[in-house]
Amino acid sequence: MSLRSATSAVFRRELQLFARRKSDWANPLMFFLIVCSLFPFAVGSESEKLKLIGIGVIFVGALLAAMLSLPRLFDEDARDGSLELMLTSPEPLAALILARVAALSLALGVALAAVTPVFALFYALPYDVAGMLALNVLMAVPTLLLVGSIAAALLVSARGGAILTAVLVLPLTIPTLIFGASAALKVLYGESPAAELALQAAFMLLALALCPLAAAAALKISTD
Amino acid sequence: MARTESQSHDKFAGRWFWRYASPAAFFPLAGKLEKLCWVIAAVLTAVGLYIGFFVAPTDAQQGEVYRVIFIHVPAAWMAMVIYLAMAFWSGTGLVLGTRLSFMMSHALAPTGAMMAVVALVTGSLWGRPTWGTYWVWDARLTSTLILFFLYVGYMALAASFDDKKKGDRASALIALVGAINVPIIYFSVKWWNTLHQGSSVRPGSSSMAATMLTAMMVMTFAFWAYAIAAALHRLRTQVIEREREASWLKEAIK
Repeated sequence: MSLRSATSAVFRRELQLFARRKSDWANPLMFFLIVCSLFPFAVGSESEKLKLIGIGVIFVGALLAAMLSLPRLFDEDARDGSLELMLTSPEPLAALILARVAALSLALGVALAAVTPVFALFYALPYDVAGMLALNVLMAVPTLLLVGSIAAALLVSARGGAILTAVLVLPLTIPTLIFGASAALKVLYGESPAAELALQAAFMLLALALCPLAAAAALKISTD
Repeated sequence: MARTESQSHDKFAGRWFWRYASPAAFFPLAGKLEKLCWVIAAVLTAVGLYIGFFVAPTDAQQGEVYRVIFIHVPAAWMAMVIYLAMAFWSGTGLVLGTRLSFMMSHALAPTGAMMAVVALVTGSLWGRPTWGTYWVWDARLTSTLILFFLYVGYMALAASFDDKKKGDRASALIALVGAINVPIIYFSVKWWNTLHQGSSVRPGSSSMAATMLTAMMVMTFAFWAYAIAAALHRLRTQVIEREREASWLKEAIK
């Protein structure tokens, strides 16, 4: 089996699993919806106030929802034995991990970005801000999942893995959060978000280059 | 023949510095270094605090309260330096497979986390009279807070493995990932908010009296000595814990 067919098989399997198990995509979306609707109860319903916090709340909500999907990257595979097959495959492990993360990023990123403009309406944000926010969620989800794949690989079926993954990954997502939210803010204030978008893309590319290798090393450590 | 055999027994034989990669060889040396560093730390702290509190002049704008920098600035520097040292030993351990390197980086982590906390607490105590609030989301305080999170993550990960060897390598990997991210986080946060009072406490800048700078540098060296002593102490404790079955240890701590 060539590298190409191996990675595309992993990619397609991941997408199929995502499509067939409703809870995989429905739960993160429900979580995202509920987080976003909690804040108005806490801060009040004046639209001026909501507009100010809305961008941050939606962005953090999307990151947390993506975080919750991290354990599914390797945990179930470790339980049913398919992770062993991935590890013993002659193809480079980093490429297989990249294919998995790419499939999950695509599926989850599109799903979360698709509902983002709807939630933006909750917070009285204008359409162009909502669009920019959705674009940034789409770019932030792959970065988060790539960085998170390292932690998920280290903590395959570890006790307390989910909470520890959050502790390890969330501080590392701060740059993405800063520039993602700031791009939407720039649009809100009528300025150009080009610099922020370029930096977002840079973070994504950097993560794309380094994280699969680190995650492969991590997976070898934890399943040793 | 005999030579190759002894080499295979000790893969780091031959050079004197490799010899200390072995816990058995380093344990007694670490004990001596630790004592030396405790003495240096105590002397330098006494000298530094004396200069800082009694010799250095009162600041024209901030009054006496500025004297917290003699603790605050060295602690903030050490929090950063120790993270780099931790990442260095983690990388060494991953590349060379030396157990002692992993133990060294575990030994450094709590001291680094403590330095970050000291920097944050003294920073907010300083902030109250000068900025009028305990906490502002300025770039340097915020990145020290994030550094503290990275230390906590490292320690929590190392503790979550029953298998010590696995925990060593897993936490070493996360230390390296963190080290790559530290500059990215630092510059992102700096870009995000630059409220801090700029370069007024930068060493060598003209706004600082010479005695203030002396006190700060002496305190910095005191903190270095303290950090090394504390890390070596923790290292020796770990060696005792992990090598408790080894016969050389019974000789060494007799």
